[in-house]
Amino acid sequence: MTLELNDVSLEIDRELILDRVSFKLAAGQSLVVLGNSGAGKSKLLEVIAGLIKNQQGQIRLGGQGIDMLPPQERGIGFVFQDYALFPHMNARENILFGLNARNASEEEKSKWLKAVTAELRIDHLLERFPTELSGGQQQRVALARSMVLRPEVLLLDEPLSALDAASRERLALLIKKIQKKYRVTMLYVTHDHNEARFMGDQVLVLDAGKVVQKGSPAEIFSRPNSRFVAHFTATRNIVPAQIVKLYDTEKALVEFFGNRLMSTSFPLHGGEVWVCLRPEHLDLVYGDTARKGANELMPVNRISGYRISQFIPQGGVTVLVELEKGGSRLMVFSSSRKVELKELVIGDQADLVVTAANVHCLPRQADDIYCQP
Amino acid sequence: MNFPSFPALVTVVVLLAGLFFGSPFVALLQSFTVADGFSALLNRQVLVVVLTSLITALVATGFAAVVGTVLGYYFTFHKNSSSRWLKTFFSLPLVLPPSAAGYMLLLAFGRYGLIGAPLYQAFSVQIMFTMAALVLAQFFIVTPLMMQAASSAFQQVPASLVKASHSLGASEYRTFVKVLLPLSKPVLVAGVITAFARAVGEFGATMMVAGRLKTIPIMIYVKAMGGDAGVADGLSLLLVLLSFTVLLLVNMLGERR
Repeated sequence: MTLELNDVSLEIDRELILDRVSFKLAAGQSLVVLGNSGAGKSKLLEVIAGLIKNQQGQIRLGGQGIDMLPPQERGIGFVFQDYALFPHMNARENILFGLNARNASEEEKSKWLKAVTAELRIDHLLERFPTELSGGQQQRVALARSMVLRPEVLLLDEPLSALDAASRERLALLIKKIQKKYRVTMLYVTHDHNEARFMGDQVLVLDAGKVVQKGSPAEIFSRPNSRFVAHFTATRNIVPAQIVKLYDTEKALVEFFGNRLMSTSFPLHGGEVWVCLRPEHLDLVYGDTARKGANELMPVNRISGYRISQFIPQGGVTVLVELEKGGSRLMVFSSSRKVELKELVIGDQADLVVTAANVHCLPRQADDIYCQP
Repeated sequence: MNFPSFPALVTVVVLLAGLFFGSPFVALLQSFTVADGFSALLNRQVLVVVLTSLITALVATGFAAVVGTVLGYYFTFHKNSSSRWLKTFFSLPLVLPPSAAGYMLLLAFGRYGLIGAPLYQAFSVQIMFTMAALVLAQFFIVTPLMMQAASSAFQQVPASLVKASHSLGASEYRTFVKVLLPLSKPVLVAGVITAFARAVGEFGATMMVAGRLKTIPIMIYVKAMGGDAGVADGLSLLLVLLSFTVLLLVNMLGERR
């Protein structure tokens, strides 16, 4: 079912928690709400679920207003950050809690319990109490408890935040699979940009209760509309720059600390900008191939630098490069094995290559402060 | 700041406090003789008093358990602008001198009282100076205790469990019965036990409304003033044992939790 919010606002103790939040989520789609703690993410879910009264604006489900409905009549499932399993009930009783509240028949209870627990691979854990389950198992039980009710909309409040990395990956895949299989409309809250990129068909960035940007993950991550969104979506390289030449509405030449880059994403009025370069959009190149700045004919930018430090996390290499001109530092992330295989030596010359499409420029105010990575 | 003799000071304070709080108990044990004490307790008049005390305290505690739990629930989950004032009002009997509470009950439920007068005129029912008056006085004093116990019990239940219950389709009543009550049981039971002990030991308010009826504390007062140390000793020891058992039970429940 389509979930639609129009100008939903919430004030608690004279503090504005949600400020005219609006979005439309198509049936069976998933929306990730990304934001810092205190941004109002959890409160947004609670207002949608009816656990907090909607004070202003409208919430519509399948075109029908649901503001006046109590939580139990909304058809919305809720998975909590701390799992919220009832400690005095075993997994089976927890999962059947909602069906019992709805006076479901034994046949219906048995059918859905079997189907969902098999899907979530917890059918062998049904007699265990929450304290006897691992974090991942508890979260699966919590998910099963919501899914047996076949909700129209599923709300998940940072469901993976209390789990270890391995369990997080497994459960993320499982949630996605379940969401697609049951075609449930899903709202997923997180402060983790990696989760946001993976879990959502759409991403909405919330800051201090306000929607600051919404769009596809590709749009949000490659074309942040503010420095806040850029920073929050892990665009590690945000450098002050100036548009020195506008070719047309398609291309511009930007300069930072003496380095020149061609960009295809820039404010049309030109002037002072922030250049946003995602670490994974930068490639390291070695060797003596011609090192040049950008020009009208060269769509791929190349800038010279020296590797000054590196970190090899799981799945790739993060390298900090100091640019030859201006001494500015840029962070590069490569998942490519070729970088790993190459002998990494601090101080080596290392040039950076980035396509013009991946040089994203944001308007800059004179008093904006620059922090080098 | 360094205070090298602090541990010594703590030890001295603990010893002095032990001396002070222990002396009445030692004095009671010194005064109590087994033969006199038991013969005084097995007296029919004394047994009636003990039974009166236990029965009225049980009934008052029963009512207080229900009403106090509901009040505790209300003040935990239905907070509004007037809650603070209302909760303070319902807690008044905790700090009000019991004799004042008893006097006010007389004014309200006496034959010429605010509620007592119409009751008497309509049904010829008189509450004061009956067992019902004892129950009323004890109920008035112990309900706030129960309310506070229930309130703290419900506050200890994580808010997300209540939210989860509602989001799963449970009504407020079902959430109360299936989630809140089971999870609050140890604290609620401790509250009931404490309320019962307080009801049995209630003196000031009960004294004002008892008339010729007597409860254990009233009997202790009467006998002590009349110089009948045997009954006063025996009943005091009974209350000491009851209080000790109650505290032990409450502590055990606390540890289980």
